[in-house]
Amino acid sequence: MSGAALRIEHLIKTYPDGTHALKDLTFDVKPGEFLIIIGLSGSGKSTLMRCINRLIEPTSGKIYLDDIDITTLSPAELRKVRRHIGMIFQQFNLVKRSSVLTNVLSGRLGYVRPTWSLMNYFPRDDVNRAIASLARVGIPEKARTRADQLSGGQQQRVGIARALMQEPKLMLADEPVASLDPATSHSVLKYVEQLNKEEGITVLCSLHFLSLARRYGTRIIALKAGELVFDGLPAEIDEHRFRAIYGEEAVEVEIA
Amino acid sequence: MKTEVIRAQPPAVARPRPWFTSARFLLLIAGLVVIYGYGWQVTQIKLGELVTGAQFVKPFVRDLVRPEVLTRDTTTQKVELGMSINPTVAPEVLPPDPSGARLTVSRQVAAVGSQLTVSGTGFRPNTAGRLMWLNRIGNPVQVATVTTDAQGAFTATITVPEVFQGPDAGAQGAQQRLSAEFTWPVGGLKLSRTLLLVLEKVVETVFLALMGTTFAILIAVPLSFLGAKNLMARNPAGMAIYYVVRMFFNIMRSIEPLILAIVFTVWVGLGPFAGVLALGLHSIASLGKLYSEQIESIDPGPIEAITATGASPLQVVRYAVVPQIVPPFIAFTIYRWDINVRMSTVIGFVGGGGIGFILQQYINLLQYRQAATAVWAITIVVSAMDYFSAWIREKVV
Repeated sequence: MSGAALRIEHLIKTYPDGTHALKDLTFDVKPGEFLIIIGLSGSGKSTLMRCINRLIEPTSGKIYLDDIDITTLSPAELRKVRRHIGMIFQQFNLVKRSSVLTNVLSGRLGYVRPTWSLMNYFPRDDVNRAIASLARVGIPEKARTRADQLSGGQQQRVGIARALMQEPKLMLADEPVASLDPATSHSVLKYVEQLNKEEGITVLCSLHFLSLARRYGTRIIALKAGELVFDGLPAEIDEHRFRAIYGEEAVEVEIA
Repeated sequence: MKTEVIRAQPPAVARPRPWFTSARFLLLIAGLVVIYGYGWQVTQIKLGELVTGAQFVKPFVRDLVRPEVLTRDTTTQKVELGMSINPTVAPEVLPPDPSGARLTVSRQVAAVGSQLTVSGTGFRPNTAGRLMWLNRIGNPVQVATVTTDAQGAFTATITVPEVFQGPDAGAQGAQQRLSAEFTWPVGGLKLSRTLLLVLEKVVETVFLALMGTTFAILIAVPLSFLGAKNLMARNPAGMAIYYVVRMFFNIMRSIEPLILAIVFTVWVGLGPFAGVLALGLHSIASLGKLYSEQIESIDPGPIEAITATGASPLQVVRYAVVPQIVPPFIAFTIYRWDINVRMSTVIGFVGGGGIGFILQQYINLLQYRQAATAVWAITIVVSAMDYFSAWIREKVV
């Protein structure tokens, strides 16, 4: 596995109710980068993430993943590209009543034969791969547990294992630690960082805490009301820039 | 130095009147008195009836605690004697009974209304029996009840009854018979015929509910998707279908299965099939509504996550939607089956099959012990279903 390059050109998303979520966004992500996206709630972080794998249809603009224009793909082609884009979510989005193993295996759905998968049959190789993915995030013994029996940190790790099954070149992490406590946040982000460093997977991760952004990001972009207001190295965000992103009233909160 | 403490005087506020003297409260009380007074009158509440009517319900209650469950086989000893009511017609001569029991009578030719002395010997000792007068074609009339003594003998006085003699009255019609019948229980206890019939009907009841529920599932599951707002609200046509389906659910749910059963007994005739249709139709609406609401409340997160993996729409339904709705669907369905078992016990009252049908017959024929058997069977089955359904629901959800 290796990371993919991502190029966003003039991306605009206007919701049917008239909300301008993204206003002419353009930026590049190099293969293997750990790009942190920061910004207030409602600044367009989630919309941006979902436009990249077209869970949300962009209004206009281009998105290139390794020179493939995602915005013009047919549904079948889009599914093929989505296989290489892993995604983890703030609310983990596991199927709570299914087993951890089934949740992890569902990351493989883009690869397996559709008819077999509908009967919940997965090839031996995929089951082994799922166990290996769980081992990689440190919870191989939870395979047969129901997903809702797990703690928040463990659920997010299952989410990472599920994304890992896709053999992703790009990982979208939509506020992956916003529902977790500080210690768990670190452990989850460390697994993401590990994938980034060992596999070279390009990571786009939105975060609320600047301290976490500085610790894990190789680069940070900031959104404000759908526009890019900062693009640079973590160390470059000083008090002045912080206020520009979060508003004059904001005070930075540290997270251990 | 001493400092003057200035105490703040509490501001003078008009004390509110106590709540129970407020006009609103008194009006409320007056309203309630009117409502309940009228209610008492229209529902014809006569508490005295509970006391004066107790004697009428006593046999029923008494029999309720001793349902007919076990019986014993009986054997009957029967000895007949030829008789004549016409002096010109000779009585039949019958061969003697091989058991050695003999019936003798003061005279074998006797006019209707005359008195006869009947005695018997060699019968089973200390046994109760009946004397029957049989006409030419064997129709019996009971003329006396007797009990044998320790030697197996009895004596009784009877009056010759007037019986139907047939078209050739005077000739063979005058040849009649006197019969002594003694019946006593033999062998061990065994399940009564009532119990076996009740059990058969209980099984019919449970399956009536099962079939009705199953038919309802087959129709309610597809309909419920059309009645789920989150799926249908994407365009005006979908909304129209949604409203039609929801209206169907609401209207059908408001019609009692008992009323539907009356309609269906007219349509397809008396019997369990009418009950299946009635319960089925009502359950389509009930289950459909519950299913739709369940579909409306699914978590969209997993759908998003599975879609993001590159899964096809069918795979998304299989992996993100189905796991979220199947366990509650099963729970609702088992619960509905449980309700339907309860409903199907009364659906027989209007001819819709099941145990209610025979329960009503027993009550109408004043066979309270048999009715008690049915009532107990219903109680046991319904409680068992209740327990079973609660257990299953706990397991799947």
